[in-house]
Order: sequence, then structure tokens, then C-alpha cells
Amino acid sequence: MNSNNDHNLHRGQGHKKDDAHSHLPSDPELRVKAIETLLLSKGLIDSKTLDELIDTYENRIGPQNGAKVIAKAWVDENYKKRLLDDATSAIRELSYQGRQGENMVVVENTADIHNVVVCTLCSCYPWPVLGIPPTWYKSDEYRSRTVREPRKVLSEFGLNIDPKTEIKVWDSTAELRYLVLPVRPDGTENMNEEQLAELVTRNSMIGTGLPENSK
Amino acid sequence: MSRLHDMGGRYGDGPIPVPRNKNNQVENSEPTFKHEWHAKAWAITLAAGALGEWNLDVSRHYRECLPPKDYMNYSYYEKWLAGLTNLLVDKKLVTIEELKKFISLVQEDTSNKDLNENVKLDKRTWLAKDVQKTLGWGGPSLRKTDITPLHKIGDNVITLKYNPNENVIGGHTRLPSYAMGCEGKIFSYNGTHVFPDKNAHGIGENPLPLYTVEFKASELWGLAAENGKDKIYLDLWEPYLKIKA
Repeated sequence: MNSNNDHNLHRGQGHKKDDAHSHLPSDPELRVKAIETLLLSKGLIDSKTLDELIDTYENRIGPQNGAKVIAKAWVDENYKKRLLDDATSAIRELSYQGRQGENMVVVENTADIHNVVVCTLCSCYPWPVLGIPPTWYKSDEYRSRTVREPRKVLSEFGLNIDPKTEIKVWDSTAELRYLVLPVRPDGTENMNEEQLAELVTRNSMIGTGLPENSK
Repeated sequence: MSRLHDMGGRYGDGPIPVPRNKNNQVENSEPTFKHEWHAKAWAITLAAGALGEWNLDVSRHYRECLPPKDYMNYSYYEKWLAGLTNLLVDKKLVTIEELKKFISLVQEDTSNKDLNENVKLDKRTWLAKDVQKTLGWGGPSLRKTDITPLHKIGDNVITLKYNPNENVIGGHTRLPSYAMGCEGKIFSYNGTHVFPDKNAHGIGENPLPLYTVEFKASELWGLAAENGKDKIYLDLWEPYLKIKA
């Protein structure tokens, strides 16, 4: 066993006395401002990079990407097969790839199986197809309860799962990122891919919701 | 033996904070970032990470190493900021004196514009023109090795009973405590991936076989399981698993 002499390297057991973070001001806005100003003044970050990052995830990468993947799988049986066999490659066909989605897994809902995704240890989430996780996904309540009482948790989202349906909970403990392929809603036989994508909600791809019904 | 971040299965947490619209329907599209400072804290963390002084596992472990009282009191992005602050100082990108100086400056609420004029960017600094390229590549954890996985799909395995980190007492691990000492079945094999138990402590990537392991809800929760049909899947590295005798 390592003796943890080099605490800076290992941080084995925890924090240090008088740790840097304990000096931060109590107002989180000021905390960010202090760190941002300091890093800018040292040339370690560039404000244009921050703007580009925020703009990318506010406007370009989000659940609209995942919805296109799902709609394609609903209309194209071969694509669906590729998606379930090798999700990373199939999703890359639509040019969605990269950070926090380097290795994708798609799990399919059926009449007998309902899948739901959680990250109990942190907040792992498939960024290229769903963007940045919503607040509830990162909450202690969702992280602690979903593995133990998924049915109660889903009922709080208005989703009451039949006791005869099997629930599969996927706890993202490694760098694999999970996306749920929901069941295509009834009455959508005449809809095209684009119209179908409109029905795919973010929560239906996490497993805490269903796609919208056709109107 | 566990840390506060390892909260799967814990009792005591209340209803999920599900946002609802005016018609009481579940809201599927709240803003990406609720507050400007959330967006900033997130983006600064990514940009600082891109300097290359630490990896994803290290930054995760730094958040997990916050004192329990702070971990529980901080909101999500406050944890990110606190972890980042400790990393910046530990990795000597900033000094504690510089940090204190800038905290005083922003608290005095003076204009700090002149501080950031004519700044020469560090050669490691992530430039806006490279953002899309870097995001698109990401940071894959899959590594090609010639390691033969010990387990086959369908094998019964038992997870270790204690924190399995063999190198650092109390160190980082991705085996949640709720699934320790439990029997499961190998569901799939995912290739060899960077091993967080080592990578989080700067002692190499050591890619090892990663399996998805299926657990029955009744195995994890006993009589408290909601439904005997339900299953829980975790992605676990080979050292977390023993063959069931």
C-alpha cells in the first residue's frame, strides 16, 4: 500500500488542512469571478474559448441530436440494428461524437422491458446526444434512489410502470454512456423521420419519460 | 469506508426535484445553465482541464475528496469550483497567495479589466479555434491491449467487499458501495479501458478489462427490492470481481 506521503499527488484519503477551496468567498458568483479573473490574468484560459464552449452546449449540442438518432432507428430497421450492435459508430454516422460520449451504448425499451439511466457516483451523461444533464439528473435524490426504488422514482416523473414489466437500471460507473431507445408511439405509422424526432423528449432517452403521442 | 459521493441506495433523500410547467406537466427543456455562473464554472473547469495537467479521473477524485460537510452543502457547480481550486493550487498552476489576492480583488468589486490586458496566453491554453475539434475527439478511455479477459459472458462473479483500490488506501474507485460483496453475472465485455483507481492518482492508465455486470434487485436490496424482476447494471473493471466459487 502507498503511504500517501505525497498528498498532492494522491489525495488518497481526503482534503488537507487549510485547503485552497476553504478560502473561497461564500457567494458562488464571486468564487467563479475570482478564479476566472485569476486564470485570465495568467493567460491559462481564454475568454473566447469559454464563450465558444457555452454557446456550443446552449445552442448546438443537446437532446435534439439524440432525438434524430431515435427517429432514424424507428424508421430504419438496419440502422436500429447497427445502433444496438455498435452505438458509437451508428451515432457517429449522424456526426455526433466526442466528449463524454466516446463509447456509447443504446438500450432498447420493449413491451416487457423499461430501461432507465443514472450515475450514482457523479453525473455521467451522454453529452454528444443529450447535452449537459438537467439539474434533477445531478441531484442527490435521483442519484441515491433510482438504483433502489426505480418504480417510485419513475412515478414522480408521472411514469407508472406495470409490475409485469422488467426495469433495467443502468448505473454509468465507467466511461460508457447510455441512451435509451424508447418504444415508437402508436399511431405514428404515417409520420416521417423529422416529424418523429419532434416526439422524442429528452426524458424518454434517459428513461424517465415516454415520447410524446402524435397529435 | 465510503465517501459521500457514493450515495446509490442511500435512504433519506426526498422527492426528485422534477421541474413542471404551468399545466403541471414534466418539463423536458429547462435552460442548459440555470445561472450565468453555472455556465462559467462549467466552462472554466473544461478549459483548465484542457491545460493537460490532470485527467478526468483526477478531477472526479478531487470533487470526491472535498470535506463531507462541504460536499453536502455545496451545490453541483460549487463542488466543481472547489475541486478545481484545489487542483489549480496542488498542480502549481496558481499559488494560494495569488488565489487570496484575487478573492480580495473581486470582493472589493473594483474593475479588474486592466489585470487582463496584454496578457500573453500560456502555450498550453485551449484556444477557441480548437474547441470543436477537441470536443469531437473527446477523451476516449478505451485502449487497445493484448490482455485476455478473465471472465466470459454469463459467468457468475462476486464483487469485492471493500473499496478495491489496491494502491491508495481510501483511494478513488468506481465500484459503488451498494454493489460491494454482491453476486452478479457478466452481461457484456467492453474491451480494456483506462483504470480509474490508478489514473485518478497519477500512477498510469493501466487499461484493464471492463465488463457490464448484471445484478438482480433482490441481490442488492434483499426484501426491500421493489420488484423481483428488476435488474441493475454496472460497468466494472476486472480487479473489482472475483469468480464465484
